[in-house]
Amino acid sequence: MIEFEGVSRSYGDTLAVRGLDLRIESGELFALLGHNGAGKTTTIKMMVGLLRPAAGRVLIDGYDTVAQVREATSRIGYVPDEPYLYDKLSGREFLQFVAEMHGMSRQEATRALDREIERFGLGRFADELAESYSHGMKQRTVFAAALLHDPPVLIVDEPLVGLDPHSIRLVKDLLRERAAAGTSIFMSTHTLAAAEEIADRIGVMQQGKLIFLGTVDELRHKYHAEGQSLESLYLSVVGETVGGVTAEEEATHQVEPPAMLEGSE
Amino acid sequence: MNDLASRAKASSKLRPNDIDPRVEAALFRRIRASETVAHLRQLMSTARLRTLLVVGLSIFFWCGLFALFYVGFDFLRENVARPGEVYHAKTVEFVFHLFFASLNVMLVFSSGIILYGALFSSQETRFLLTTPAREERIVLHKFQEATLFSSWGFFLLASPLTLAYGISVSAPWHYYVLIGPLIVSFVYIPCVIGALCCLLLIYKLAHMRVAVVVIVAALSMLAAGAAIWETIAVDRKELFEDQFFLDTIRKFRFTREEWLPSSWLSNGLIDAAQASPRLPTPLRDTPVVRALMSLALLVSNALMGRLILTAVARRTFRAGFSQLECRPRRPRRAGAAWIDRVAAWFLRPFPPQVRLLLMKDWRLLRRDPVQWSQFLIFFGLLGLYFLNVDQFRVTAGDIEHTTWVNLVSFLNLAVVGLILSTFTTRFIYPMLSLEGRRFWVLGLMPVSRDTIVWSKFVFAALGSWMPCAMLILLSDLMLHVSPLVVGVHQLTTVLLCVGLAALAVGLGAMMPNFHESSPSKIAAGFGGTLNLVLSAVYIILIVSLTALPCHFKLIANSSAISSEFLREDYLNLWLVLGAGLAVAVGLTATVVPLYRGVRAFNRLEFY
Repeated sequence: MIEFEGVSRSYGDTLAVRGLDLRIESGELFALLGHNGAGKTTTIKMMVGLLRPAAGRVLIDGYDTVAQVREATSRIGYVPDEPYLYDKLSGREFLQFVAEMHGMSRQEATRALDREIERFGLGRFADELAESYSHGMKQRTVFAAALLHDPPVLIVDEPLVGLDPHSIRLVKDLLRERAAAGTSIFMSTHTLAAAEEIADRIGVMQQGKLIFLGTVDELRHKYHAEGQSLESLYLSVVGETVGGVTAEEEATHQVEPPAMLEGSE
Repeated sequence: MNDLASRAKASSKLRPNDIDPRVEAALFRRIRASETVAHLRQLMSTARLRTLLVVGLSIFFWCGLFALFYVGFDFLRENVARPGEVYHAKTVEFVFHLFFASLNVMLVFSSGIILYGALFSSQETRFLLTTPAREERIVLHKFQEATLFSSWGFFLLASPLTLAYGISVSAPWHYYVLIGPLIVSFVYIPCVIGALCCLLLIYKLAHMRVAVVVIVAALSMLAAGAAIWETIAVDRKELFEDQFFLDTIRKFRFTREEWLPSSWLSNGLIDAAQASPRLPTPLRDTPVVRALMSLALLVSNALMGRLILTAVARRTFRAGFSQLECRPRRPRRAGAAWIDRVAAWFLRPFPPQVRLLLMKDWRLLRRDPVQWSQFLIFFGLLGLYFLNVDQFRVTAGDIEHTTWVNLVSFLNLAVVGLILSTFTTRFIYPMLSLEGRRFWVLGLMPVSRDTIVWSKFVFAALGSWMPCAMLILLSDLMLHVSPLVVGVHQLTTVLLCVGLAALAVGLGAMMPNFHESSPSKIAAGFGGTLNLVLSAVYIILIVSLTALPCHFKLIANSSAISSEFLREDYLNLWLVLGAGLAVAVGLTATVVPLYRGVRAFNRLEFY
C-alpha cells in the first residue's frame, strides 16, 4: 500500500508538488497523468527515497520513506524512465547483484533470476555486457530487476516508452497480473490509451496539484462526456498549462488553484 | 558468500530481507571486481595499442622521474653533505615535508571534487539510492573510486622519489617494505578529509557549494603563490647561498607541524631509511621502531577517518542528495550574443552554408566550459611560462647563448604543437562522430557532406591558429630572437595548425564511432590514439625540418667555425629547402587525410 499524507516539495521557489494526499491500496493499479513538469517525477522520486518531502510524509506498506527508508525501499520495485544498468556488467550479473542486495541467498537469487529471465525473454542476451543493449532490452532487464524480490509495491515511470508492440503487450499484461496478485502499482505515463486500458484509477496532476482522482468512467461522468476517449477528456481537463508554480504566484493567487475534481473518493 | 548470506538471515538483530553489512560490502566488492575485469578484458581486446601506449608512456614517465630524483639526491650527497650529516638531513626533511604537505592539500581538494561528481551527479548513485543499500556503503563504494582517481598521480610522483632516496642513502631492506604501507595509509587521510568536506558542504550549504569551493581554492592558491614568490623574490646573488637556504627552511616550517599527516609520513620515511644504530639504544628510539610508530599513527588516523566518514555519510548523504536535487535552478539562457556577432563578422568571407556550420560549432564550443576551460588553462600556463623565459638574456652575446635561445624557442614551438595535438584529438577528432548521432539534422538539409567535413577543418584550423600564433610570438618576443626566426616560427605554426586540424578531421571522418555519446570515450579509441601518434610524428618532422637549418644559420653567423657546409649560400639553400620540405609535408598531411576523410564520409551509412 502507498500513502501520501499532505506531501509537498519545491525546487527553490518552484512548487513541484503541493499538498498531495493519496492512498493506493494493495492490488490497485494507479496511473498518474499530467503534462511535462506537472510534478509526476518528483512524486515518484519521493516514493523511492531520492527526494525528501518538504512537508508531509510518504508511507510504503506503512514505512516512512524518510525515517525508515531502507525498509521502504526494500518493499519497492522501481522501473525508472531512463533505465540504469552497469555498462560493464552482463544482465545476469546485474540481476544477481540486485537480488542479493534484497537479502536473497545465492540459491534464491538464482531461482528468481531464472524466473524473470524467462518471463522477460532475456535468455539470449543475459550474458552479454549491458553496454550493447538496446533501450527495449534495458527496459526489460530493469523490469526483471524490479520484480526479483517480489515487491508488494511496484513503481513504474513511463514504462511503455521505446518498447516494441510485443514488449508493450508483455508489460501491460504483467502489470495487470501483478495487480491481481495483490501488488500496489503506481504508474506515471503519457500513454493515455494504456492508462485507460489497464488502470483501476487515474490521477491527473497539474502544476503540482492532484486535480482529479477516480476512474476514467467517473471522469467522463463528471464532464458529461460519455463515449469520449481519455485523451480528449484529459486535454479538456488540463488544458495547456505546463510546469510548476512559484510560492509567490500561489500566495498572490496569480495562479488559480486547480479545483479538485472528485471521483469516487 | 553463501555463509555470510545465511548468517545475515539468521541474525535476530536484522530485519527480514535485510542484509548483513559484511555481505553488502562483499556484494559491492564483487560488482566492482566484475566491472574491472570486464573493462580490462575489453581494453585488451579492442584497445590494445592504446593500453600498451598508456602503460609504456607511464613507465617511461616513471623512469624519467626516478632518474631526476636520483640525480637530485646524488647531487645532494656529493655536493652538499653526506647522509648522516646535518645539512643532508635538513635538506631531505625540507624536501619531504614540503612535497608531502603540498600533495596533502591537493589530495583533499581532488578527492572532494571527484567524490562530489561520483555521489551527486552519477546515474549509479541515483540507482543505488533506490535500492536497500545503506547510505554509508554507497558513499564508501564511491569513496574508493575517488581515492584511486585522486591519488594515482601522487603514487606516480611519490614512488620514484622514495625509491630514489632509499637507493641514494643505501637504506636498509625494511625501508622498502614500509614505503607502501606508509604511503597508502597517508593517502587515505586527506582523501577522507576531502570526502567529509564534500558531504558536509552539500548537507549544510548545497546552494553555495560552488562559491565556497572557489573561495577556498583561490585562497589556497594565493597562499601557495605568496609563499613561492617570497622564496624566489630575493637578490640573484643571494639565491642558493647559506642564508637563503636557512631562510627558506624557516619560511616553510609550517609544513613540518607535528599534527600534519604529511609530517608523520615524512618522519616515517626518513626514520625507516636510517641504518640501525651501532651503539646500544633503547628499543623505542631505534629508527625502525620510530618508523613503525609513524606508520601506526597514520593507520590509526586513517581508520578513525573511515569511521567518521561512515557515521557522517549515514547521517547526511541522503538528505544532502535530496537538498541538492531540489536546489533552485536557473535555466541557462543563450546570452552573450555580441560574441556571436563578432565571430559572424570574422566568418564573412566564407560561403553561407559553411558560415552557418561554423557558427553552430562556435556556439557549441563556447557554451561548453569543459572544452574551452581546458584550452584556457593549458595555453594560459604556457603563456605564463613564455613570459618568464627571458632569463636567457643575461648571457646574451656568446655562441652558447644563441644555441640555447634557438633551441628553447623551437622547443616552445614543439610544446605548443604537442598540446594542440591533444586538443585536436580530444575535441576535433570526435566532432564528426558526434555529428553522426544527430545526422538527421544535417543529413536532411541541402548541404553536401563535403561541406560538413570542410567546415570542421576550417573551424579547427582557424580556432587553433590564432592562440598558437600569439603564444609563439610571445615566446619569440621574450627570447629576443631574430626576425628570421620569428618568420620561420610563424610559418611552422600555420603548418602545424592546418596539418593537425586536417589529421583530426580526416581520421575522424574515416573512423567515426556513432555508438558512443561521450567525446572523451571516442577520443580514447583506436582512431583517437592513432591521431595522437601521427600528430606527434608530424610535429617532430615539421619542427625538425624548419628548426635545424635555421639553427645552423644562426650559429654559423656567430661562430668562428669554418666549414664548406656552413657557408652563407649553402645555409640559405638549406633554409629554403627545409622550409620547402616542411610546406610539402604539411600540404601532404593536410590534403591526404582530408581527401580520404571526405571520400569516407560521403560513403558512410548511418545506422
